Amino acid sequence: MAARDGVFGWLYISPLMLVLVPFFVAPILVVLAASFLQSDGFGGLIASPTLQNYVDIFTSGLTLNLYVETIKFTLLTWLFSLIIGFWVAYFLVFHIRSPLLAIGLFLLCTVPFWTSNIIRMISWIPLLGKEGLINMALIKSGVVHEPLEFLLFSSFSVVVAYVHQLTIFMIVPIFNSMGRIDKRVVEAALDAGASRFDIMRLIVLPLSKNGIALGTIFVVSIVMGDFFVIKVMSGGGSASVVGALYEDVGVLQYPSAAASAVVLTIMVTLVVTAILRSVDVRKEITL
Amino acid sequence: MSTAPASKTVAGHAIAPRASGRPWTFYVLLAVFVLYVLALYGPMFCIYILSFQDVRGGLVFPMKGLSLHWFVDLFTQVRTGDVKGSFDRSVKLAVIVTVITVVVSFLAGLAFRRRFRGDGVVFYLMIGSLVAPGLVLSIGIGLLLTFIGVEARWYTSAVGAQLSWTLPFGVLVMFAVMSRFDRAWEEAAYDLGASRWQAMRLVVIPILAPGLVAVALFGFTLSYDEFARTLQTAGSLNTLPLEIWSMTLNVTSPSLYALGTVTTIISFVIIAVCLGTIGRMQKRRASRVPPL
Amino acid sequence: MELGHGHIELAGVVKTFDGFVNAVDGVNLKIPDGSYCCLLGPSGCGKTTILRMIAGHDDPTAGEILIGGENVVGLPPVARRTAMMFQSYALFPHLSVRDNIAFALQVRGMSKADRRKAADAMIEKVRLTEFADRLPAQLSGGQQQRVALARAAITGPRVLLLDEPLSALDEFLRIQMRQELRRMQRELGITFVHVTHTQLEAIALADLVVVMDKGKVRQAGPARDVYDSPNDRYVAEFLGGQNVLSGRIQSVNGKHAVMAAAGSGIQVPLTPHIRLNTGDSIAVAVRRDDIELIRPGHKTSDGTASLSSRVTAIEYQGYFVKVMLDAGSNADFVVYVSERKFFSNPVGVGDVVLATWPVEHARVLA
Repeated sequence: MAARDGVFGWLYISPLMLVLVPFFVAPILVVLAASFLQSDGFGGLIASPTLQNYVDIFTSGLTLNLYVETIKFTLLTWLFSLIIGFWVAYFLVFHIRSPLLAIGLFLLCTVPFWTSNIIRMISWIPLLGKEGLINMALIKSGVVHEPLEFLLFSSFSVVVAYVHQLTIFMIVPIFNSMGRIDKRVVEAALDAGASRFDIMRLIVLPLSKNGIALGTIFVVSIVMGDFFVIKVMSGGGSASVVGALYEDVGVLQYPSAAASAVVLTIMVTLVVTAILRSVDVRKEITL
Repeated sequence: MSTAPASKTVAGHAIAPRASGRPWTFYVLLAVFVLYVLALYGPMFCIYILSFQDVRGGLVFPMKGLSLHWFVDLFTQVRTGDVKGSFDRSVKLAVIVTVITVVVSFLAGLAFRRRFRGDGVVFYLMIGSLVAPGLVLSIGIGLLLTFIGVEARWYTSAVGAQLSWTLPFGVLVMFAVMSRFDRAWEEAAYDLGASRWQAMRLVVIPILAPGLVAVALFGFTLSYDEFARTLQTAGSLNTLPLEIWSMTLNVTSPSLYALGTVTTIISFVIIAVCLGTIGRMQKRRASRVPPL
Repeated sequence: MELGHGHIELAGVVKTFDGFVNAVDGVNLKIPDGSYCCLLGPSGCGKTTILRMIAGHDDPTAGEILIGGENVVGLPPVARRTAMMFQSYALFPHLSVRDNIAFALQVRGMSKADRRKAADAMIEKVRLTEFADRLPAQLSGGQQQRVALARAAITGPRVLLLDEPLSALDEFLRIQMRQELRRMQRELGITFVHVTHTQLEAIALADLVVVMDKGKVRQAGPARDVYDSPNDRYVAEFLGGQNVLSGRIQSVNGKHAVMAAAGSGIQVPLTPHIRLNTGDSIAVAVRRDDIELIRPGHKTSDGTASLSSRVTAIEYQGYFVKVMLDAGSNADFVVYVSERKFFSNPVGVGDVVLATWPVEHARVLA
């Protein structure tokens, strides 16, 4: 039976390739190609290669600002989603006695994500807005006299929306990693006199590293590739790289958008590759 | 810290001391957890409540009264957007994507059981497809279509664009599911005289069924909510997320909230059905281990 | 002479796994039809690999495998009319006991009614009638094993292959199930090939014991032969009932040679087959229960070999007592003393004793 399976390997994988090639590989190549061409001003492309698009990107001060903004939000989101996600996962794995309850609570956390992103975004308005619940509560209780402006349509709200949306991407892989820690290892450590802090530092953290890495990959790639959360939640006050890309496409400036896309994609790829080097993904997702 | 010996519960799960109750960290973390769940559900509850806003009410609190006006508005008024049509399309698209995702992920999961030439390449292509900025792929596909001279349609190009997102997830789930599949079951089937197809039909697929349902669940919800990749590839007719997007830019009434409530209910129903199916399957197996 | 259907022959069988040193290294073996054969050896000796090659789940890199006189290499399992019982039983978790057992019939296209009847008959044979509708997860280890056995046997195979069938059971159950297996084999009248690493299990069950090490067959024969007359040091030590002494020959005289080992001169029987010369290095095996312990100072008769040493440990084993002696550089030198004899004149740890045995009972090993 062993030898006969060789052929079937490729047969079984071909449907996947049939999708990946035209809908991932090809588009990337097309974008790459378009980035070297010029726009005819009407949404068409002139087939004369140029590096002008890239030159524009690298000499424009706007580019730097955009990347700074994007990276700023990426880091903040990563930080908060990691902190919250880590502790939630830790709580579920180590403090809930019944595995059934742990899974149930875990599902409770995932359920909101089965609803539309966009709806969840606009749902912040009645909560954080000037006439929103929080401001109303704060004013009524006398803590502040005027509604807090920064709650909505600001950097604050952007990060809140991102963290709200993406913490689950941290919880899932970390929960998975932690769940695989052999409880007997922890018991042996307790037996040897380790404090709970020691156990966290010497056992739980190192063994959760893979989960953290996977979660980071998700969070980073989603935030860096986002354009609508930041647009809506900042009220137009902030912009992101992809946001600017979106604007370009809106005015049919495909080549410059393509160049920007290529640069961004390379950046994201570099970050993800760097993280992937430190974790064996295939081993990590087995149960 | 308590020096009581660690508990050996039946589930073997907790390290908290047994009889003496919980350590203080439990309560802190419990508070964190509760706050997190509240923060998760909080904004949405606002929407649910506000969707019952009175006719005279606006987008924010306070509620001026209760009514179903906005739900009606949602489904009848053309100016609020083509909700019925786009919802219809979203569901159909999601079903197509789900079916393809399940079949392709299953086959890919089978393929990855052994090493084969180029398996590393395929794997990283999948990861690449997952982390690539959705809008970039969307634009790329759009450009490609223009090149070839084919028009984008929600039932063709959008399917492919969404698959580039759902398939990696599906295959990753299959990895996890397959790793729990004992090859001995398959070998026993062959030993007893089953052909390749019989072994697949009578043994492999039934045993993997809960995992396949999980992949279907992922596929459906990922497709149903997909926005960035669908943006440039759906063509002239919108899916629901695209419709919502244009509504947020134009519509300023609580009918948007009503829409939120409706889509949430639908998502919940689908999930409940899938989880219920998985639960029932597991119970019939009397298996002690959860599917994921 | 006509070979029985279930007669198995391995000729020059070799198996290499990519890059691996030969897992099976040139095995020649004949297993008579209708016999109970045990492949015995430590982990990694190749016994399971051979089993899987007979079954058809793996193919040999070289050599032939004949069942009932025909070469089966290349044939799929179902064409060989063999059936395998997996170590983990591999019962289909989603099917009931009855459906598990009826599976082989189902894939051959038998009607639901017919296969239900056949399965129920088999369930009767293994005495699991009231569990027919249960799922495997609801059965105990011993019950699962019986289901696995029934499932394999229902196809009427000519050879039944068992991969460590008793390893997953606890001691008590293991001994019970042993007899169950033997009974089934006699009833079905087919060849059983049973892989195990437990010596006592192999000699209890098998008509033919095949002792293996590192991909090679060291000795094959009836249980008594292998236990009582091991060919070489490895078999002697693995079977566990023998002490092996190694040393150099000091002198040769007429009937005996004298070997220097463990600080004593030990008399070794001369046999026509093996020529012994002074200076040769040899190994000699003595059965542990052949040895008598006497206090030092007693005279030993002619024709008795003896070894003087100190007692290092004593283990009570119920009907006999294990006395472990310090025999210098040799591995454990153990004596099995019958319980009553021991306690009539017990020795203690640290005592110096004389271990004696009739010279002729020792065996010079190849």
